[in-house]
Amino acid sequence: MAKYRINNHIRKLRFFQNEMTQQQLADKVGVTRQTIIAMEQGKYSPSLELAFRVALAFGVPLDEVFSYDPETESN
Amino acid sequence: MSFQEKNITASFVIFTLILGFYLVRIFQMIQSGSFNLTNMVRLWGTVIILGIVVTIIGTILTHIGSGIIQAIKTREEPVIEDIQDERDQLIDLRGTKVTYFASSIGVFLSMLTFAFGQPSLVMFSLLIFFGLVAQIIGDIARLVLYRRGV
Repeated sequence: MAKYRINNHIRKLRFFQNEMTQQQLADKVGVTRQTIIAMEQGKYSPSLELAFRVALAFGVPLDEVFSYDPETESN
Repeated sequence: MSFQEKNITASFVIFTLILGFYLVRIFQMIQSGSFNLTNMVRLWGTVIILGIVVTIIGTILTHIGSGIIQAIKTREEPVIEDIQDERDQLIDLRGTKVTYFASSIGVFLSMLTFAFGQPSLVMFSLLIFFGLVAQIIGDIARLVLYRRGV
């Protein structure tokens, strides 16, 4: 299974946003709920544009949502 | 399972059945000694029309069926997420790449049979065969990417 260098805190941020549902976040950023699920599970690294839209939806800077781990192997 | 995954699964099942039909018809033709250009062109036409019509009908029926099941399970009106976002597009692109790669190998192998002295009918039969196989391989690749991650 592929390991990803980009980690995210979407689940935690949703919790702090009054338990925002995955569907609500998906509607806000204009993707499907499956893409939000894949991002939360670390199975999909979003484009830069989508990453900014997610950060904007939470009202936080980009680096509070996503972080880059250079130690993690990637294939 | 998302809207796109259902589409791909429907396509995978339909093209596997069409491939089965194609192979069975060819073996029947070979056994009965009617493996000629007229019958083969007729079979290609049937396969192409089947590929288009059955995929459309199959996809519609799949969504109606899954919508009914979802409505029964949740007792709510089913929500169909038929938008294609960047992840779907990326997976589709990679699946298409796999399809083209498999198709290229198929074309090469088909031409190889012609180069080794087989009749052109065999080459064209193999072209259709590898076209169907490439489509199936592409669908499998898309399903794997949806499950494993991109």
